[in-house]
Amino acid sequence: MSAFDFIATVLLLFTGFIAVRSQNAVHAALGLAANFVVLGTVYMSLDARFLGWVQIIVYAGAIMVLFIFVVMLLFAARAEVGVDPLPWLKNWGAAVAAVFFATLTYALSAAKAPLAGTTAAALLGGGTAKAVGSVLWGTWLYAVLLVAALLLVATVAAVVLVHPDQGQSRAEREASRGGKA
Amino acid sequence: MSDFLFVSAALFALGVYGVLTRRSAILIFMSVELMLGAANLALVAFARAYGSLEAQTVGLLVIALAAAEVAVGLGLVVAVFRMRSSTAVDDLSELRG
Repeated sequence: MSAFDFIATVLLLFTGFIAVRSQNAVHAALGLAANFVVLGTVYMSLDARFLGWVQIIVYAGAIMVLFIFVVMLLFAARAEVGVDPLPWLKNWGAAVAAVFFATLTYALSAAKAPLAGTTAAALLGGGTAKAVGSVLWGTWLYAVLLVAALLLVATVAAVVLVHPDQGQSRAEREASRGGKA
Repeated sequence: MSDFLFVSAALFALGVYGVLTRRSAILIFMSVELMLGAANLALVAFARAYGSLEAQTVGLLVIALAAAEVAVGLGLVVAVFRMRSSTAVDDLSELRG
C-alpha cells in the first residue's frame, strides 16, 4: 500500500463518517463533497482518468451543489428532525452495517487478481476519454442513448414535481388565477 | 487485488449505517449517494484488476444515472416539504393503519 493509497483511504473513511454522522446537514454535505473529490483522485490513480474528472465535475460540482441548495431552500440544516420513535434502533443500525462490512470483506478476501498489474494497466490505456469513448460509443451506444433519454425525463420530472400548481386541474388553475385578478 | 475494494466495502457499510440511522430525507439521500460512490469505486478497482474498459464505461453510466436520481429525488423531497413542512421521513405516516 503506497502513501497515496493510505492517505486516500483515511480521507475517504473520515469524510464518509462525517457525511453519515454530522448533526449539521451542511457539514454532512461538505463531507460528502470532499469524499467525492478524494474518490475522483483515487479513480485517476486506478487508471480511470476520464472517470475521475467526471466524478469531480458531476458529483462534487453539480450533485452536491443541488444538495446544498435544497438544504438551504428547506431550512433543513438540522439533522435531528421530528421525534425519534425508536431511539434504541440506532445501535442496531451500527451492528447491521458492521455485519454487512464483515460479509463484504469475507467475499472480497477470496478474490484474486487475474492479471499482472502491468498487463491490466496496458489494457486500460490510461482510461482517457479516447479509450473510454471508443467503448462508450461502440458496444454501449444504446445504453448511452437510453441514459440520455432518462436524464431528459428526470429533468422534466424534477421541474413538474416542484411546480407550485401540481395536482390542480387546468380549470382550477384558471379559476384561482381569475380570483386573484 | 486492489486494497480499494475493501475501502469500497467500508464506504458502502458507512452508507448503510447512514440510511438506517438518519431521519431527515435529505441526509438519507446523501447516504445513498455515498453507497453509489462506493459501488463505483468497486467497479473502477475491478476494472484496474481485470484490465477492462467496460467496467469504467459502466461507472460512467452509473454517474449519469446518479445525476438523474438526484434530480428526481430532491424534487420529491421539495414536493413533500410543500405538503408537510417537514423533511423527516417519520412524518410520512398517512397510510398507517
